[in-house]
Amino acid sequence: MCSTRRTSLGPHAVLAVVSLMAVPLLTVPLLTVFLLTAACSPPATEVAVPGTTDAVKTAALQRAERRSFDGAPPAIPHTSFGIACTACHNLEGVDVEGVGYAPPSPHGNTQGMSAISRCQQCHVFARTDEVFSDNTFVGLRQDLRSGGRLHAEAPPTLPHKTFMRENCIACHTGPAAREEIRTSHPERANCRQCHVGVATRSEFSPAGQS
Amino acid sequence: MKRRDFLKVLSAAPGIAAFSCADREEAERLTTTGSGVSDADLAWHKAPCRYCGTGCGVEVGVHDGQVKAVRGDEASPVNRGLLCVKGYHLPAFLYGEDRLRYPMKRDGAGYTRISWDEAFDLIAANYQQTLDQHGPEAVAIYGSGQWTVFDGYAATKWFRGGLRSNNVEPNARLCMASAVTGFMTQFQSDEPMGCYDDLEAGDDFVLWGNNMAEMHPVLFSRILDSKRTKPGVRIVDIATRRTPTSDYADLYIEIQPGSDLALANGILHLLVEGGQIDRPFIKENIVFKRGIEDLDEIGYGCYGDQAEHYGFKDKARDSSLAELETFLADYTPAKVSALTGVPEGQIRSLAKLYGDAGRGTVSLWCMGVNQHVRGTWMNNLITDLHLLTGKISKPGSGPFSLTGQPSACGTAREVGTLAHRLPADMVVMKEAHRAVAEDIWGLPSGTIPAKPGYHTMDMFRALMRGDVKTVWIQTTNPWVSIPNLHRIDRQPGPDGNYNDGRFIVVSDIYPTPTTAIADLVLPAAAWVEREGVFGNSERRTQQWNKMVEPPGEATEDAWQIMQVAKRMGMGHLFPWPDDDWHEPMYEEYRRFTLGHGKDVAAYTQLKETRGLRWPVVDGKETRYRYAAGHDPYVKKDQGVHFYKAKGYGEKAAFWLRPYHPPAEVPDDDYPFWLSTGRVLEHWHTGSMTRRVAQLHQAQPAARVELNRADATELGVTGGDMVRLSSRRGSLELQVELDGRGTPPRGSVFVPFFDESKLINRLTLDAMDNISKEPDYKKCAVRVERV
Repeated sequence: MCSTRRTSLGPHAVLAVVSLMAVPLLTVPLLTVFLLTAACSPPATEVAVPGTTDAVKTAALQRAERRSFDGAPPAIPHTSFGIACTACHNLEGVDVEGVGYAPPSPHGNTQGMSAISRCQQCHVFARTDEVFSDNTFVGLRQDLRSGGRLHAEAPPTLPHKTFMRENCIACHTGPAAREEIRTSHPERANCRQCHVGVATRSEFSPAGQS
Repeated sequence: MKRRDFLKVLSAAPGIAAFSCADREEAERLTTTGSGVSDADLAWHKAPCRYCGTGCGVEVGVHDGQVKAVRGDEASPVNRGLLCVKGYHLPAFLYGEDRLRYPMKRDGAGYTRISWDEAFDLIAANYQQTLDQHGPEAVAIYGSGQWTVFDGYAATKWFRGGLRSNNVEPNARLCMASAVTGFMTQFQSDEPMGCYDDLEAGDDFVLWGNNMAEMHPVLFSRILDSKRTKPGVRIVDIATRRTPTSDYADLYIEIQPGSDLALANGILHLLVEGGQIDRPFIKENIVFKRGIEDLDEIGYGCYGDQAEHYGFKDKARDSSLAELETFLADYTPAKVSALTGVPEGQIRSLAKLYGDAGRGTVSLWCMGVNQHVRGTWMNNLITDLHLLTGKISKPGSGPFSLTGQPSACGTAREVGTLAHRLPADMVVMKEAHRAVAEDIWGLPSGTIPAKPGYHTMDMFRALMRGDVKTVWIQTTNPWVSIPNLHRIDRQPGPDGNYNDGRFIVVSDIYPTPTTAIADLVLPAAAWVEREGVFGNSERRTQQWNKMVEPPGEATEDAWQIMQVAKRMGMGHLFPWPDDDWHEPMYEEYRRFTLGHGKDVAAYTQLKETRGLRWPVVDGKETRYRYAAGHDPYVKKDQGVHFYKAKGYGEKAAFWLRPYHPPAEVPDDDYPFWLSTGRVLEHWHTGSMTRRVAQLHQAQPAARVELNRADATELGVTGGDMVRLSSRRGSLELQVELDGRGTPPRGSVFVPFFDESKLINRLTLDAMDNISKEPDYKKCAVRVERV
C-alpha cells in the first residue's frame, strides 16, 4: 500500500520540500528574531502567529483538536488499517499513494521505555465523537515561542522538552511539518550538535537528585 | 489496501471535517499564546497517577487554580517519564460538568441541596440511632483502595476506636484480598518481597492470568524494553483468552478457566520429579503446611446457607516434603493436560523455566489469580514455585503480585481497612495487636472489638437483610462493581424515598448508580484537589500536595469522617488543628509501622522524594525484603530470612493446595464461559475515565468479545447485537470480533466499566474460601442472536 517509501531524507529531497513551502529561506532568521523579541517581551497578550496561511491555521487546529492539551498523545485520526502502525509511521515518514503523507514518529529510541513498541498504549482510535458528559477542561495550548539564544547568530536552545520527542525531523521537516517550526537546514543531520536542551527542573526536585 | 478503502476509513474517523471560517478563528485563537496559557506559565508539581496500582509519577501543570496539563515524570523511578493513555488524560477527569458540588439529600425522586452542617448532623444522628437501637454490628463504612492513607486511617480509627465496630471494609476486598491472604499465610506479612527493579533484573516473566499490556501498561513497557535491550528475556502468557499481552509473549499458554491450580501443581510435580528443587534453601527456610481440602466443607460462598453468610475458616496442619511428593502424584503431565487443556510439552517448558537455577524468574499476577474461588490457593501455589526453587527475595526472581488500585497496598493493606485488620499486618482477633492500637490511639484497653466485621460480600448481604442499617460509602461504586447485582437492588417507595430502615450515605465526585440509590450524597475532593498519600504495588509510599481547589463545596473524605466523629463526641480521636492535620495524622499512623519491618518513610522525606519503598530505616528504602544486604532487618550472614513469620519459626510456609473446579461451569443451558475485566482506556467502573472525551470516544460502550467461529455458528458478525444470559440476569451487547481480545471457542469476555451495560447483573457471587474475594472471571452464560 505504501508506494513511495521515503527511505532517506537526503539534501535534495529536503530542498524540494523546502522550496515547496514557498517560504524564502532568508525570511527564516528574521522570523526567528521576531519570535525572540516576542519571547523576551513582558508577558504577551498578543503574540503574532508566525505562519499566516490558512493551511497553517488548519494544521494548528487539527493538532489541537486531536489532543486533550499540548503534551497529551493525539487520538488516531483514521481507523485501523490492520497493519503495524510503524509500517507507515516509521522514523522517516511514508507517502501513501493517493492519500497523503504519514508523518514519522517523533519517538526516537526513548531511553528505557520502548515507547515505539506499543503505540496503542497511549494513542487510541476514536469510535465516536459523542461524549459521556460535558467537560469544561481547557488544557495547555501549544507554546510557539522559540528558545532563547545568546546572540542573534547563535543557535537557539530547544524551547521544549525532548523526552519522547527525540526524533527532531518528525516535526521540523517534511510535508507534515508545520510551517512555523520547519528547519531551514535539515541537511545538517545532528540537530543537537548545535541546539541544546535546557535542563528544567520542577520546583520539588531536591538538589542532587534528578 | 486500495485508495478508495483508505479514504473510507479516513472519512469514517470522527473529527476530520472541512474547516469553516469559525474554525479558522478558533485556529487563530489556538495558536496564539495570548488567549491561552503557555508552558512557561505553569507551575509543575509532583503526584502519583490517580488510577491503577502501578503508581506512575506524574508532573501536574497548574495555572490560575486549574490543572492544565500533566506529563510523565522523567525522574520517577516507577515510570521514567512514560504514562498510559489514561494517565496522559488525567487533567480532564477533574472537570466533567456533572461534578458533585454540594451535599444533597434525597427528597422524593430528586435531591435537595443542604449545608454541610445539616449533612454531618444527619449522618451523626443516623449512626447514633443505629448504634443505640441495634449495636455496633449494624453500622458500617465501605471505602476503597483509592482512599488515601488519610481517608483509610481516619475511617479505621473512627470505626474501631470510636464506634467500636469492625465493619470497615474497602472495595479492595474485590481485587486483592486473595493476595493479602496469600502473603499472610506464607510469610505472616503482607506484600511482595521484590519490586519493579525485577522487571529489568529478571530473565523470564511468567504472567498468570494477567493482561499486563492493557492493565499495567507502563510496567509492561519496562519488560518490553528489557526484552529489547537484553537478549534472551522471555515472556510467558498463561491466559484464558488472547490479549495484546499475548502478542508480545514468547509462549502463549491457553488454559481452561480455573485450571491454573492444576497447572501450578503440574509444574511442581515435574520440579520435584526432576530434582530441580533447592534442597538447602528448603531445609533452611521452609515449613510445609496443609489446610482443609474437602470441597463439600469449603463450598463456594454462594449456595445454600453460604449464600447469606460465608465464614469458612481454614485449619492448618503440618506437612512435609515427603507428603508433597505423594500429593503431587495426582498431577502428572497427562492428567494436568487433560484438566487444563495445556499440551504436555508446554507444562514441561514451564517446569524447565522455573527449574532453571541459572535464570531469574518473576511471576506476575493480578485479577485472574485473585478473583478466583480458590484465589488464596492460587497465590500460594505461585509462591510455592518460587519457594521450592529458591527463586525468591533476590534481584530478578520472585512472586510479584500487582494491584489494581492506587492505594490498595498503601491504604487497604498497610493501614488495614479490611474488616479484620489493623495497621502494619496486625489483626483485631489478637489481643496483643489490639493493645498496640489502643496504646497508640490513647484508648482504654478493651475498646477495639475482637470479632472481625463483615467482609464486603457479607456486608452487602447484611445491608439488604436489614442487619446493617447505616452505611457510608466513599470513593467507590458498588452498585456497578458488586457481583450478582440483583441481590442489592434497592427500590424506592411510592413517594420516591426509600423508607426501608436503611440509611446510605455516598461520597463521590460524580453521579453514579451508587449515588442514585443513596439517601445522602456528599461531594468529594479528588486527587490533587487535596493533599494525599498512596502506596503502590512495590511498597512505594508516595505523597502529593493540594494543588487546586475542589469544585463547589467538595471536601476530602478524611475531613468528612472527622467532622462526623466530632459531632458524635469522638473528637479526641482527631486532636489536630483543622488546617494542619495531614502530617500529624500520618506520623501517628507511622508509629504502627516502625520497628516491625513495615516502616514507612517520614512525612518530610516523602514530600522531598518520588516515594520510598518500605521498610525505610535510617531514611533508606528496601528493594528486597527478607534478603541480607538489602533488608535492614536481616543480618549479613542470614542470606534469605523470613523474619516476619514468627509462627512458622521465621520460615516461609509452603502450602499444599489441590485443584478444585469453579463454582459454575458451562452446561447445555448455559454453554459459554463468561469472564469480566477492564479495558486499557477505562478504569474500573468508568466514573472518572468516561468523563474524558478521548477515553470515552475510544471505548464508548461495553461490548462482548466473541470467538469468530462461535459468531459464525450464531449467525452474527462484529457490530451485531447478542443477548447474554446467565442464571441471574441478561444483557444485550454489541459483538466485537477479532478486537484486542480474542477468547477461545466457548468463551466470552465483557468489561465492567459501562454503567448502562451492567455485566455484574450476570456474574455469580461465588468467592474465595479464605480471602472472601469474589470470582468475576468464571460463570456460565448463554449467547443468543437478537
